[in-house]
Amino acid sequence: MSEEFFTVGKSVAPIYGIEKATGQVRFPADVNLPNMLWMKILRSPHAHAKIAAIDVSDVLKIPGVAAVLTHKDVPEVLFGPYQNEIYPLDEELRFVGDTVAAVAAEDWNIAEQAIRAIRVTYESLPAVLDAVAGAAPGAPDAVLHYPERHEIKPGDIRPDQLGAFGNIVGLKEGGPTVVNQRGDVERGFADSDVVVQRVFRQSEVNAVSHEPRACVAVYENNRCTLWCSVQDPYRLQGSAARVLGLPMEAVRVVSTNLGGAFGVKVTGRFAILCALLARQTGRPVKVWFTREEESLDSHNRSALTHYVKAGAKEDGYLTALQVRTFQDNGYWPFGGLGQNIAFAISTRPIDLYHRCPNVKWEVFAVRTNYPSTGPYRGRADAESHFPIESVMDELADAIHMDPIDFRLKNRLHEGDDLCSAPGKVVSTVWVEEAARAGAKAIGWERRSPFPAANPGPRKKGIGMAMVIHSCGSNPAGTSEAEVVIDGDGRISLFSGTPDQGSEQQTTLRQMVAEIFGVALEDVHGSNADTASCPYDSGPFSSRTVYATGIAASRAAEQAKKKVLEQAASLLKRQTRDLDVGKHAVWIHSEPSRKLHLSDVISFAGGSISGKGIHNGKEDRLFAYGFAAAFAEVEVDVETGEVKILRLVSSHDVGRAINPMIVEGQILGGAAQGLGYALTEGFCFDPRTGTALNQWFLDLRTPSILDIPDIEPVIVELGEPTHPFGAKGCSEISYVGVAPAVANAIYNAAGIRLTELPMTPDRVLKALQETQGSVR
Amino acid sequence: MDVQESHNVTLKINGEVRQLGVDSNWTLNDVLRNRLDLTGTKRACDYGGCGSCTVLMDGVDVYSCSILAVEAEGKEILTIEGLGDSESLHPLQKSFALSYAAQCGWCTPGMIMSAKALLNRNPNPTEAEVRAALAGVLCRCTGYTSIVKAVLDAASTMRGAT
Repeated sequence: MSEEFFTVGKSVAPIYGIEKATGQVRFPADVNLPNMLWMKILRSPHAHAKIAAIDVSDVLKIPGVAAVLTHKDVPEVLFGPYQNEIYPLDEELRFVGDTVAAVAAEDWNIAEQAIRAIRVTYESLPAVLDAVAGAAPGAPDAVLHYPERHEIKPGDIRPDQLGAFGNIVGLKEGGPTVVNQRGDVERGFADSDVVVQRVFRQSEVNAVSHEPRACVAVYENNRCTLWCSVQDPYRLQGSAARVLGLPMEAVRVVSTNLGGAFGVKVTGRFAILCALLARQTGRPVKVWFTREEESLDSHNRSALTHYVKAGAKEDGYLTALQVRTFQDNGYWPFGGLGQNIAFAISTRPIDLYHRCPNVKWEVFAVRTNYPSTGPYRGRADAESHFPIESVMDELADAIHMDPIDFRLKNRLHEGDDLCSAPGKVVSTVWVEEAARAGAKAIGWERRSPFPAANPGPRKKGIGMAMVIHSCGSNPAGTSEAEVVIDGDGRISLFSGTPDQGSEQQTTLRQMVAEIFGVALEDVHGSNADTASCPYDSGPFSSRTVYATGIAASRAAEQAKKKVLEQAASLLKRQTRDLDVGKHAVWIHSEPSRKLHLSDVISFAGGSISGKGIHNGKEDRLFAYGFAAAFAEVEVDVETGEVKILRLVSSHDVGRAINPMIVEGQILGGAAQGLGYALTEGFCFDPRTGTALNQWFLDLRTPSILDIPDIEPVIVELGEPTHPFGAKGCSEISYVGVAPAVANAIYNAAGIRLTELPMTPDRVLKALQETQGSVR
Repeated sequence: MDVQESHNVTLKINGEVRQLGVDSNWTLNDVLRNRLDLTGTKRACDYGGCGSCTVLMDGVDVYSCSILAVEAEGKEILTIEGLGDSESLHPLQKSFALSYAAQCGWCTPGMIMSAKALLNRNPNPTEAEVRAALAGVLCRCTGYTSIVKAVLDAASTMRGAT
């Protein structure tokens, strides 16, 4: 790209870097206040149960216990991260780890002692511990008592209808939660030269944010302040206001820095109970999860089963794709975000392979008695790309075509209509450029067609996957931003979005700095404090740099326009005769006579501010991010071990506002994706619903010895819907890794791995099955 | 109960002598974070599984979650706050801060303290030695490449400075 920028495009140091490296940044878990109580949650040992009796009489006798809350003590008001569907506490418990009661005490030891003194009689209920079985007729109900929905909007499901058709989220008798189709798959398969059919299974995975979530609540004079580890501070503000019966402006939520979030740190009972205990005791209250709680009371990527059938012609065109997906949706009574995720699962891949004329994709999102599922990094696309990209590879192999050529032949093109965003068309599709650049980086020409001709027990191979993912153009989200220039000429950006590690405030301030022609350090401000920052739906679906970036740029442009108008009036010129830069305004023809911004503000009086908003609802053009992942692996056919020799992650990012941060996000996402591919899986006992590996080491996130130096490739060809041409890219790097590794394993050893994670035992099992079929 | 049995301990933290009463089951991490408000030292698991609570005890990197406060009696403890602050950054802090080796920042203090212990005993480590030394601290954000580079850069700066 030829445009020259002052700050945009530069790898400037992140604004929170020094605070983070000195330990001075205050995460919610780091907030300690005088006279503070510690809260602890009692959690259900049952997958599905009803509280028959609860006795707290012994609890308050313990010295140092200040308060205890059971379901009898809390307001019967619905709230929730995705929709209002849970009470602060409930008589019905729907997973092992569900919240039973909460106490506040002088210190963490006493709080721990206190929850053990609560005597609960549980009435155990039949549980749903498998999504496929739970979808079948006659399965027990994962949710027995649906909460009353106080506000029924048109199109809402009525409480008496919920559960009428079993555990499937949505309301179609015996039918799926969503179904997306075009053409006629039966005719498509009849037309195919090759058809492949496979079943894919993916484990539930936990985001393993390193900061266990925390909340510190203060309640004084009918005002409540919450320092809380949530990505959705405005949603928590609304939820807390509902439950506490306060006006929205009486609740303040601060979520400025989070110790990792990855989509899963959202409004929850822990924060609401913390606020209620602060109100009840009149003292600050802190809750800080243990690792076990952070694993259980989170929002995991669903466990999935996909039944896939796909066909192609010898000429390389896809003929038909049919998928039936079962998505373990967890305990949400109204479905949480499950329906939304199901829709994205069933539409994004068929957008990526837009040329495929015949498609039918059904998703059954099934209520179960497992922990919540929700949007974790690469939401929906990590779920769907493993099966689809594996099958694409198999089809290409079957017709002896290069897997990249095969994919590109069937791909989405600029201006195509989108199944995943009805009524919208995709603006830019730089997927071919990303795929070709990645192929060049890994040395794709070295890849020999299967079987790779290396003797001995260690087989080498190369594989790839092509990916589509949200880059911020999400009509469900709204971002606002405010840019203020104060009397000293100081420029500040106020944005409602927390920094969970992506350093988005750095990137956003770079855009504002660019508009004013100043350096990054000349832009100040704050973020994710509902008292001072305007609304933002939060850093989800890689939306901040794109959506909040548009809002921040609009805010800066508006403030700049006002500055020019004031300066024009002061200098008795037209605004078009003036320039702004480096804290000054001047007349084009007299660049040496500069008016400092503070002089303009002083003339205007007070301050100058600009506001910007972005909500994609009205735009017809829709931006998507594209990527290609390439893996070179060595498979030890004696031990089943898969060693990653190289991993290339190639991305259409539109434009890298800060290349260092973009690279950091690509490397980090790809490393997490490698965990999803090879080692991570959150496992539960299918008889009891009890988590088996909720502890840190057992979740098997990659260590410094497991990750090779991942090679990022950045493709910068712009995006016209964004003022600086940027697309979000913090999640897409996760998505392609697992299928690229699976395809590399095939290229190395001739086996198709259909279950995640691809552990050595599964590799050995696949090798045995393949050998068996050959003999 | 044993847990409520109180002990008086004397700890030397970042060069400062601190005397306080602790319960017998309080860890060094509990004391640092919850009693002394030295929250730069993190905890992500509380049982030696992640390394984010790493501090130096008599110059050696330890998991502060796995050391009881009473065991730290008389020892010299160095935390991230004692290593340097924004006015006087340690070269490790500077290289992490400038190169985006601290993404969310939660593992960063533990990672830096572990690296500090390495550089105490080996001022000129190879990349493989850095990886081996930091294997006890997990990071979920970076993919580690930037961390390895930040440690090597800081080591090089420190060798140049002496």
